[in-house]
Amino acid sequence: MRILLLGMNHRTAPLELRECFAVSDPAPLLGKLVAGEEIEEAVLLSTCNRVEVVALTRRLEAARLRLRAFFARDLAGDAPLPPGRRLDDALYEHLDSEAMRHVFRVTSSIDSMVVGEPQILRQVKDAYRAALECEACGVVLSRLFQCAFAAAKRVRSETRIAERPVSVARVAVDLAARIFESFGDKTALLVGAGEMIEAALEALRGEGLAAVRVANRTEAHAGELAHRFGASAHGLAELPALLAGSDVVLSCIGGDAPLLGVEVFREALRERRGRPIFVIDLGVPRNVDPAVNELGDVYLYDLDDLADAAAANADERRRETVRAEAIVLEEQQRFDGWMSALQAVPTIRHLRARAEAVRQRELERAIPRLGLDEGQRRGVEALTRAIVNKLLHAPLSRLREGAEREEGLAHLEAARALFALDDPAAPGAEADVEHASRGEPPPPEEPEEPGEA
Amino acid sequence: MFVELHQVTAALYLAAGLVAGVGLELPAPRLVRSGVVLLAAGALVHGLAFLALHTAAQPPPLTDLPAAVSLAAWIAVMFFLTLLRRARLAGLVVLLGPVAFVGAFYAALRLPHSERTPFVGSASWPHAHVLLGSAGLALFGLAGLAGLFFLLANRSLKRKRPGAKPRGLPLPSLEALDRVNAVAFAAGFPLLTLGLVTGFIWMQNESGRLWTGTAHETWTAVAWSIYAALAALRFARHQRGREAAVASLAGFAFLLFAVVGVGLLA
Repeated sequence: MRILLLGMNHRTAPLELRECFAVSDPAPLLGKLVAGEEIEEAVLLSTCNRVEVVALTRRLEAARLRLRAFFARDLAGDAPLPPGRRLDDALYEHLDSEAMRHVFRVTSSIDSMVVGEPQILRQVKDAYRAALECEACGVVLSRLFQCAFAAAKRVRSETRIAERPVSVARVAVDLAARIFESFGDKTALLVGAGEMIEAALEALRGEGLAAVRVANRTEAHAGELAHRFGASAHGLAELPALLAGSDVVLSCIGGDAPLLGVEVFREALRERRGRPIFVIDLGVPRNVDPAVNELGDVYLYDLDDLADAAAANADERRRETVRAEAIVLEEQQRFDGWMSALQAVPTIRHLRARAEAVRQRELERAIPRLGLDEGQRRGVEALTRAIVNKLLHAPLSRLREGAEREEGLAHLEAARALFALDDPAAPGAEADVEHASRGEPPPPEEPEEPGEA
Repeated sequence: MFVELHQVTAALYLAAGLVAGVGLELPAPRLVRSGVVLLAAGALVHGLAFLALHTAAQPPPLTDLPAAVSLAAWIAVMFFLTLLRRARLAGLVVLLGPVAFVGAFYAALRLPHSERTPFVGSASWPHAHVLLGSAGLALFGLAGLAGLFFLLANRSLKRKRPGAKPRGLPLPSLEALDRVNAVAFAAGFPLLTLGLVTGFIWMQNESGRLWTGTAHETWTAVAWSIYAALAALRFARHQRGREAAVASLAGFAFLLFAVVGVGLLA
């Protein structure tokens, strides 16, 4: 069994290409993918930064071709690729331990564009759930993703990879939390509009901001934004009066000269009787005179200040990835061990089936000659089963224990050679033919009774 | 017994401050919270130490400087622990722990050798004086520590070097520190005033005079006057933020000198 991963992400493909392959409902596509013989299990992860398929296969080359065709036909559909872009240039492929490591790194947010971002874990969980629901995910990939979730949990709790905010908006909110104890009684004033100001406002509203006011050059634009955020709209002429009642000021408005100077803040502070104002100036050029920061109860941060703090935090997160990688490696080794143990199962079952076949055949030969009654026959059956179990107990235990270690493969090969499992002329080989002809897996293991006769 | 309990208390307070300090530096929120637990454990043992002191000593033991300083440290810690439920103040342990340690450690060193102040008549006036005065000192101490923390946090924010701190870190906000300052000030001033009044009554009972002119009396009266002026600024003129922090820190430094420093120099 091989684990194959094929995908593209923000490093290998630009957004215009990634969006051609984005999928909102992966279930029908996954169902189609695992319906063929090439892929046994599959999980499809589609986020704004990556589209990846993790597949389990026994036919590697066929699975490779199938996955590439899946990207080209099923995911892209009829949408034309952007001019000058080729799918093969954007795709990367990982096999077995590399594929496992990639899944672990993605889930733990080490491979994210913003290292440590929390959304990816939820997105991977959604992808896994979708694969489970359409029965595209079986035992092996389930185990892989469960181990990946455990690794992600450990990474988040044992490292500081996600502790520090790295977006300008989150940094602004964190700074505000250093000034204000709570936001439930605080009012924010937005001066101007824009994506960044909205992102910062969204983050502040998430903290439970009490009220929002919007001031703009054109009141119509202010009204539009105010309507979206349930705020009141004002013209710029009202700014001095609005400042006195505002605890947080978010400013991002065009203009050559600073719109808010020291005097207007001094006047506001007088009315506020010393209550502080946190000013986030996202304007370029700046909307607030930098000298305002000299006033005792005003805390002014411009875009560079926030970006510096965000960059410092991002550096901290990157440093934490070293510890996160170590955790990922540990968890991956755990999964590797499980996979190896899984590979030992067919040999163990094969060996038990052979032994059982030999026992049955010898019993069938011996019992008619011995002339035993029913009770004696049952006794001989129990005796032979106990002998077989005792003889097999040690080698099977060694095979199981060794399977999770490096020497496991050598043990398996030795067992197959010593017991002639691949020799169709060996005693008991007829059991293999029976299983193969029925197309069923070998019989389930019976509990061993090493201590009993 | 009370000496040993004071020693344990001092160790717990010091450990609380150190653990919280390491927690803030790393930063590791769990360590900061562990600092709070150690401080609370210290307060518990501190309470037991006073119980032991009361059962062991005759006459009533709170009328000497080591006991009064220790009592002030205990009240400050208890008041802080009650405020913890209302705001994320755990980071303040980094300052309160070492200060409380000094109070408890000083008592552990000096209590066996201190001589009880002789008095006549009822013990209630000296006791009331020490209890109220210590409580006032404790609350002004807490206001001063909150002021000091405010100034440090304000400085890093103003210099735009706030440092990368995770949101889970129970670092006090400027608003919370200012509120602690105000609450401690509002509660501390009446207590200090009552402490002074009961002290005068005690002196009246002891010597027949309200004012005996000792250095302790004089400096404490000056400290009270300063606090009266600061209280007027804080509550009548709505002084807040950095100015209030500086005022409470300076006021506490002066009060500490008036109550403890003068006592030690005498």
